[in-house]
Amino acid sequence: MRERLFPGDRVAAYVVLVVLGLVTVLPLLYMIVLALQSDGEVQSGDPVLWPDHLQWQNFSRLFEAAPFGRFFVNSFVMAGAITVSHLIFDPLVGYVFAKLDFPGKRIAFVAVLSTLMVPFFVRMLPIYSIFASLGWIDSYQGLIVPFLMDAYGIFLMRQFIRPLPDELIEAARVDGAGEFRIYLRVILPQCKPALAVLGLFTFVFQWNEFLWPLIATSRTEMRTLPIGLTLFNQEYFTQWNLTAAGALILFVPTAIFFVITQRFLVAGIALSGLK
Amino acid sequence: MIRRRQALTAWLFLTPAVLFFVLLFFLPIGNQLMTGLYDADGVFAGLSNFSRAFRDPEVLHSFLITLAYAAGTLVVGTAVGLGLAVILNQSLRGRTLFRSVLLIPYLTSVSIIGLLWRNILDPQVGILNRLLEAVGLPGQTWLSTHPLATIVGITVWSGAGYTMVLFLAGLQGIPGLYYEAARIDGAGPWRRFFAITLPLLAPTTVFVSIIGLIGTLQQFALPYIVTGGGPGNATSLYAHRLFIVAFNDNDFGYASALSLLLLIVVLILSLVQLRIGDRADA
Repeated sequence: MRERLFPGDRVAAYVVLVVLGLVTVLPLLYMIVLALQSDGEVQSGDPVLWPDHLQWQNFSRLFEAAPFGRFFVNSFVMAGAITVSHLIFDPLVGYVFAKLDFPGKRIAFVAVLSTLMVPFFVRMLPIYSIFASLGWIDSYQGLIVPFLMDAYGIFLMRQFIRPLPDELIEAARVDGAGEFRIYLRVILPQCKPALAVLGLFTFVFQWNEFLWPLIATSRTEMRTLPIGLTLFNQEYFTQWNLTAAGALILFVPTAIFFVITQRFLVAGIALSGLK
Repeated sequence: MIRRRQALTAWLFLTPAVLFFVLLFFLPIGNQLMTGLYDADGVFAGLSNFSRAFRDPEVLHSFLITLAYAAGTLVVGTAVGLGLAVILNQSLRGRTLFRSVLLIPYLTSVSIIGLLWRNILDPQVGILNRLLEAVGLPGQTWLSTHPLATIVGITVWSGAGYTMVLFLAGLQGIPGLYYEAARIDGAGPWRRFFAITLPLLAPTTVFVSIIGLIGTLQQFALPYIVTGGGPGNATSLYAHRLFIVAFNDNDFGYASALSLLLLIVVLILSLVQLRIGDRADA
């Protein structure tokens, strides 16, 4: 039986939840209202909750004012490539640590896990210097390479693969299957739920990534959406309607992610312990 | 024979990972150790970059306000997250929906959060002061009068859902039997909370606090977007200072030293957490 707070606590609990739920959601809904206002309404100093005429053309004005299409593509390429890379390497490395026996395993595993403690700031400056000398600033590889895999994903996959029965692997070995074939045909198909969680989270977090794309790009056409939007706002600081329209575009993957994962979101985060 | 084949397979599969972690983690960290020993002109400077940090008023200021920011976020964020977790641990209708709605800000880009709140809080065009005035409260110049507290507020707003999830996991580890026994002994709800929930959640609370501390000590993007570190340097946190030293002053040696000092603090916190975690397991 679950702990109940107080006798007759249900009403109090709902009041708290509804208030905090509204505090969470209303600012995001207000973003939609803001995006559809006219310049006059947004600058009037008397904020409106419902615009006189819904200004859908704010979206096309946004794309004319700055290369938001390009920002979107850049963000998509960066987050997409990193996600694919994680889906290839995290389970492979996780499988090695979960199921194979080899000299140096403990040290290698501790070395991988120790990277969890390293703040991005510590590797940011040397990576920036090296990429600058390689000519990788303002390039896709420059945006992507620092995040090709990480210890979170590897650890998540290891934890998922460990309880899978060893007999599956032994049987395949007896049948003469090669090691990579065993991984690809026996292990990987069992990992679909974990791969879904890993892929979705990786994409959304990389889509939202701010610090590295800010540093690794300087030309407008290589900016990702979060950076492009922030810089756009600095330039068009009175046109909050356009900024809000851009924010809505940036919000799209989060919204899609939320709809897909709503029912297992909490369990997924608790499971992966992500960041 | 089989063992050797397995070892070969393992290291073959690990090759990309070894290359990645060596080239993009361990070599950069080693490089950082070296760079920290040189001054802005590339002349060997020994430990002077490190001692400079302790005498640099701007760095000391940024460190102190980062501590204030971390402490404020920790106290308020933990209280809100714990409260939400306790409420949502009961069997309520719509529990799953509330839980996941509260997580939306955690999945939302910091650019959206920062820009949105800057608009809402704006004294001229923002809606929050209008709402306050409508219910008879005075409007505030949030970001000019209480900039750091406002940044703490936005951080708590965006992180409460995540803290809640961590506490929910902790709450699920407390056996329901304890509560029943306490109830039979006549303990009221507050008594049960303080005598059972809070002490048994202690390991989770430590974990949440250290995770939160490590995160807030590295906070960069939110104040960068909302205030640009201002007004003056009232919200120029340590990471922002480091960013300015590196990319405005182009003093990579000094910035490397600053980043290593951050690494030391984070390592100490992580090791404390590992030790406490071990003790909780034993």
